[in-house]
Amino acid sequence: MKTLVTTEYSEVEAVRDVSFDISAGEAVGYLGPNGAGKSTMIKMMTGILVPSAGELSILGRTPHQHRMANARDIGVVFGQRSQLWWDLPVRDSFDLHRRIYDIPAARYEGNLAQFSELLDLTPFLDRAVRQLSLGQRMRAEIVMALLHDPKILFLDEPTIGLDVVAKDAVRKFLARINRERGVTIILTTHDLQDIESICPRLIMVDQARLIFDGALKDLRASMGTRRRLTLEFASDPGPLDLQTARLSSDEGLLKHYQIEREDVSLVDVLAEIGRDRALKDIVLEEPNIEEVIRTFYQGRNTAAVTA
Amino acid sequence: MLRHLRLIPILLQMNLRAQMEYRGAFLIDRLAMIIAYASAFAVIWLLVARFDTLAGWNWGELALLYSFHTLAYAVGASFSFTQMRDLEEHVRLGTFDAMLTRPMSPWVYLVFARYNIGYISHISLALALMTWALLTIPIDWSIGWVAYFLASLLSAALVTASLMTMLGATALAWTRSNHLYSLYFGFWELSRYPLNLYPTIIQGILLTIVPLGFMAAVPVAVLVGKPVPLLGDIAPIAALLAGPALASLAVLFWRFATSRYQGAGG
Amino acid sequence: MSAYFAFAKSAVMTQLAYRNEVWANMFGKVVQVFARVAIWLAIYTGATSIEGITLQQMITYALLGGIVTGAIRYETIISMIGRALQTGDVAVWLLKPVSFPLYIIVSELGRAAYRLVVLVIPTVAVVALVYGMLPPASIFHGVMFLAYLALAYAIIALISTLFGLVSFWLLTSFSLEWLMQALLNLLSGQFIPFWFFPKTFGDIAAHLPFAWIVYYPAAVWLGRMDVAGTLIYFGIGCGWALLMAFGVAWLWRSASTRVIVQGG
Repeated sequence: MKTLVTTEYSEVEAVRDVSFDISAGEAVGYLGPNGAGKSTMIKMMTGILVPSAGELSILGRTPHQHRMANARDIGVVFGQRSQLWWDLPVRDSFDLHRRIYDIPAARYEGNLAQFSELLDLTPFLDRAVRQLSLGQRMRAEIVMALLHDPKILFLDEPTIGLDVVAKDAVRKFLARINRERGVTIILTTHDLQDIESICPRLIMVDQARLIFDGALKDLRASMGTRRRLTLEFASDPGPLDLQTARLSSDEGLLKHYQIEREDVSLVDVLAEIGRDRALKDIVLEEPNIEEVIRTFYQGRNTAAVTA
Repeated sequence: MLRHLRLIPILLQMNLRAQMEYRGAFLIDRLAMIIAYASAFAVIWLLVARFDTLAGWNWGELALLYSFHTLAYAVGASFSFTQMRDLEEHVRLGTFDAMLTRPMSPWVYLVFARYNIGYISHISLALALMTWALLTIPIDWSIGWVAYFLASLLSAALVTASLMTMLGATALAWTRSNHLYSLYFGFWELSRYPLNLYPTIIQGILLTIVPLGFMAAVPVAVLVGKPVPLLGDIAPIAALLAGPALASLAVLFWRFATSRYQGAGG
Repeated sequence: MSAYFAFAKSAVMTQLAYRNEVWANMFGKVVQVFARVAIWLAIYTGATSIEGITLQQMITYALLGGIVTGAIRYETIISMIGRALQTGDVAVWLLKPVSFPLYIIVSELGRAAYRLVVLVIPTVAVVALVYGMLPPASIFHGVMFLAYLALAYAIIALISTLFGLVSFWLLTSFSLEWLMQALLNLLSGQFIPFWFFPKTFGDIAAHLPFAWIVYYPAAVWLGRMDVAGTLIYFGIGCGWALLMAFGVAWLWRSASTRVIVQGG
């Protein structure tokens, strides 16, 4: 048996040197692997946790110092923990929400009607929450978080565990709320589709640090990921080295290259190959975003191992 | 503050409806609770039936002590025990985080949204026994006596709720608190008996570090005119002040623990 | 068989992970045992012997009283079986070549053995240092005490398992935990030995299975029963255990059949 007396307390740095600004009306995806400090960041922004150092301002307030005031202006959805009353109809949780946030009756009715229609809540508003499917429940959670017209909506893994149809419904709804109502959206996710369909801007964290902040389409360039080029020939031209692309594997008729420089275009490559090489077909692959990120983490892990 | 008061009846009403979804089990559970508490009392009865008195307390006085203890505990615990015991779980699952994102006190939300009406079984058993005890013991009935009785009962209920709140708060600051409940209930069982039954050191603990002596032993001794060990003449006022004093301490400790809250990681 | 040993072992290892809990439990237990002894000290004020029982014997009885009930958590057995049956999780176990009730019993007995060594025996030792404790009345009684102790663990585990299985039909295991507590309070002799009970009540209690959990092991230790009585009552206790084992097997069969019919 180990000793009976030990301290079970250790401080873990979940977020460090992460700095960004988000303007009103933006939709931002906060992405990172498990344990990267995503949830911690959301918890600090919503006033749940007190940051040990640094500056944090939400709508001009320090969240944990003005937790109540901050809470009125934000909506929070946790993908994995329900805020609805398990044994009561959805409507009862909504009604309690109205009273906690002092929502005027007319505005409450208006919001409820509009959101219910958009997310098709009406068929199960009077059913007990425990009888709902995960997708129905998540739709209800999101609507509830919006009933008091929050200026910012925080979502922690809103699509986790949902089926394809439910994911799609949630994404379309969030994109629309952001567009039409100007609600600022900040969401954490594992799922890049969430970001592609909701968030023009992506913030990526890893090992508690910020590693990317910008538009999703710029991520590839910033990660220095290569495009892949495959050339198919009618007859084998032999080993073919190019200036514009690096040969990565050679199967004779089929040759694979990587384009390492961003400023190289397909035209440049074709010009270098020339017209007399019996080139039959050409495929240029942009690596998808998942791949970009996977390559990044893999690279980081091997770097860490060799270091 | 005022808004919180308006929310309380709504939380209570929703909570009642939610609990009534499991009516059958609820009723069976209440019956079992009554039997369990009655059996603990039957043990005391068996002792007195055989030995006439226990530490100088007769049957009626012990019945008053036990019923006072059960009633004060039930009232206090209905606001606190299951709520605070589950707090460790709320922290672990992150549901406490969700409570912090609402513009209201998480303590008020937790206490009233989870108000435990199950204690109705303790309360009915205690009231029946208390009525019988009050009719049996010779008492100089006066307005002062009744007022003291009610005030000390309230103070004792506050002692329970405050101690539970502090136990729960440790879960916020250090994520684990459940081992403290076995300590609590160890002393809690002692506090059903007269204080003069115990060695001085246990009496001392019951009046200071784990002040469960104020739940029944001290006020009931005062009410039936028995001397209170260690406290002596200050016992009557100490029993009245214990509740409010611990409640203030609990408020401070809860605030401190909330400020240290670090969530469950992730 | 080795599978069940592994279950018991892993239950013990899990317990080791919670050191604070060990300290808190030990302190709570010491306090409780002190309190029980204090009650007897108060009752014996001015008397050296009541009904032929000396104060020293009564203190020894109070110390022995917690050896079984202080180590085993009957409520864990009841609630684990109850929950597995109500949620249908038990269906998974029907596929495995081990008996679910036996698995639950063995795991809890593993934890009980751990608590006996780490929690109960030190507690008893501490209080015994202060108030003194009598040794077993004879070597025979000492040996039979150990046999009775093993039987006591078997009986409390079997009763708890029966209660856990019943909860499948009652739809609440919570109530059965409390009912079990009530029965132990009164009928096991853990607070008051039966010789201080009103005659008829004491006689009835002495023949119900709960009596073998606290009363008989302690009575044997103190030499309150002669050689023949010790052996005869051990036989009766084994009879109860066997009867309850059949009860467990039968209730388990009907409950698990119902789970399968309901589709788990």
